[in-house]
Amino acid sequence: MSLPLVVINGLVKKYGQRVAVQDVSFSIEEGEIFGLLGPNGAGKTTTLSILSTLLIPDQGNVTIGDYDLVRDAKQVKRLIGSVPQELALYPTLSAWDNLVFFGRIYGLQGAELKERVTAVLALVGLSDRAADAVQTFSGGMKRRLNIAAGLIHRPRILFLDEPTVGVDPQSRNFIFEHVERLNEKGLTIVYTTHYMEEAERLCDRVAIMDEGRVLALDTTKGLIDVLGGGVIYLGLPQASLESFLSAVHALAHVSIVTPEDCRLKIETKNARLALLELIELCNAHNVSILSLEMLEPNLESVFLHLTGKRLRD
Amino acid sequence: MLKQILALTWKDLKVFFKDRGAVVLIFVQPFMFILVMSYALSGIFRAGDRPILILAVNQDKGTQAATVLRQLGETKPFAVEAIWENRPLTQQKAEELIIKGKRNLALIFPPDFSAVLEQIPATRERRTTKVLFIVDPTTSGQLVEPIQGTLQGLLERTAYAAIVPKGVDYLFDKLAPQAPAAERESFKGRAEGAMPGGLTGGETPLVTVERASPPGMRVKKLPDVFQQNVPGYTIYGIFWIVSLLAVSVLREKQEGTFRRLLVAPMGRMVMLAGKLMPYYLINIVQIVIMLGVSSLLFKMSLGHSPAGLVVVSLAAAATATGLGVLVAALGRTEAQIGGLTVLLLLTLSALGGCFVPRFTMPDWLQTVGLMTPHAWALDAYQDLLVRGYGLLEVLPKICALAAFALAFFVIGVWRFRFE
Repeated sequence: MSLPLVVINGLVKKYGQRVAVQDVSFSIEEGEIFGLLGPNGAGKTTTLSILSTLLIPDQGNVTIGDYDLVRDAKQVKRLIGSVPQELALYPTLSAWDNLVFFGRIYGLQGAELKERVTAVLALVGLSDRAADAVQTFSGGMKRRLNIAAGLIHRPRILFLDEPTVGVDPQSRNFIFEHVERLNEKGLTIVYTTHYMEEAERLCDRVAIMDEGRVLALDTTKGLIDVLGGGVIYLGLPQASLESFLSAVHALAHVSIVTPEDCRLKIETKNARLALLELIELCNAHNVSILSLEMLEPNLESVFLHLTGKRLRD
Repeated sequence: MLKQILALTWKDLKVFFKDRGAVVLIFVQPFMFILVMSYALSGIFRAGDRPILILAVNQDKGTQAATVLRQLGETKPFAVEAIWENRPLTQQKAEELIIKGKRNLALIFPPDFSAVLEQIPATRERRTTKVLFIVDPTTSGQLVEPIQGTLQGLLERTAYAAIVPKGVDYLFDKLAPQAPAAERESFKGRAEGAMPGGLTGGETPLVTVERASPPGMRVKKLPDVFQQNVPGYTIYGIFWIVSLLAVSVLREKQEGTFRRLLVAPMGRMVMLAGKLMPYYLINIVQIVIMLGVSSLLFKMSLGHSPAGLVVVSLAAAATATGLGVLVAALGRTEAQIGGLTVLLLLTLSALGGCFVPRFTMPDWLQTVGLMTPHAWALDAYQDLLVRGYGLLEVLPKICALAAFALAFFVIGVWRFRFE
């Protein structure tokens, strides 16, 4: 990791009365895969739209490279590559023609253009389909070409907005491999998703967003470690809750216990061992378990832990 | 299966009725057509209600021209206008009214009209005369020919009615001067029945109708059907670019390609210009093909002013492309764009005179027609192709087209959203 390539400070964006992005600040290091994880409507796409120069923030500032995003938008545009959520391609044109068109828009021409189109087609594994119309491609192939179009001008940073939406598992893996390969070549990638598995697999660091705010930002491991060994929600009869609190807290694999409505939220050092201890404790005190939910330590659990909501809600 | 069909039907009905713009267009459009086309075609289908106006300049020193004009006026669907602003029409005034486009047809009866008709046919110094039929060259031949035919028939009948009694009197004076008046009158009646046209014509009719254009219009020969129809249908055709352009813009928005282009180092106006340019060029090619093919295949004259033709074509194409931007800015769905395009284009074409000559429409509709770019483009083309005018003479119409184009572009760009 070197100097931050992107620095975001106090970003605010409103649509009328609705605040889409609220006081968002973070930085992105050159060469990392940075994830923006959150449910639909969390503010990921708005944040990405601002970083892509499509939207002007109401407050805050952003620098990409040495350039101010608003003041030096033209220079910033040359540094960034954007892969929108939609398949932003011309379906009746061939893959080659699509890339040539986008290359020309970025000022590429002649031998350089031809070389770049050939290179990005090879990169996404579509060299043999270069002459075919995009409308004849499968969903996964279109997604790959969509990525290729964002790479045509050799950007320093690539914004991928939910690139696996509507893609079959095989193509999804193909896209993951491409993203990893691009990153290995030194490309900085900002990856928005609401699939925690994707963020866990690909991202060096992840910012978890909800309702326009960044709730947590760390490496995937750092975020998961917040949960320790996992969380157990234990539903007990109301009369047993108070009396049980200290007994549960005293268990060897339990870290923190908090009463929540008619249940206990138990943060553990090791969820499975803690679960065994809890069952033994209940049996010993002849207390019936009304409900039991165990959250393994992953980003989904982290999100639930932070917001009380599931990612796919 | 039936339930599935019903579910699909219900779903699509809901989707349709949620698109209020499309609903309005679907239901308003037919009424617009009924109204516009009915009014526009009323001159043809309801000739009794909407007379064909003919200016009449009566220079005749006798009474025969007045008889012809009275009979013409009594013949449906013609109406004769011999007085303009409380004064008898002169040839100069009639020509001026045609040049200004207020009327299309005028009849000029010569001073010797009655004298020629009333001459005794058997005399050696038989004289003939001409009634001048001044026609705006843009007037459809389908309209002019029947009028000319009717007029020729009326003239022959009048000449006949004038000549038979004179001829009978002449013969009685020569052969039986003592014959009683009653016998003469009886003979006149029988002669009229027995010699239809015989005394009036011979090889050369006494009165002929000569068609002419108003002075200043360099019309070497009468316009052919292509010169009259090609400009109208060319203009009608080029405005269909509106649909192509608007749908293409909508798809760019829907498919996210505009969004991708917005991220590229390129100004929005550059992007818009790049989007419009191909459609403008398509329009130009359309015009070149329409006029070129008509010229090569049908030998249609392209007038005397290539420069005028180029400038009018550029202005007309700009107006069509401008309207495309406006529709692209207003249409939110393909259904809306489709409906709006059909509504606008057919209405504007009809009002602008592309299908039916504007002079056959009621006066108020002719005035409404001037609010369409089609009318100005059509007039400009007809000035060049049919009336034989040059660039300078059509400049005001080019300016009007440019104003339409500018207005469409300004409003369109103002309302345009890239996302």
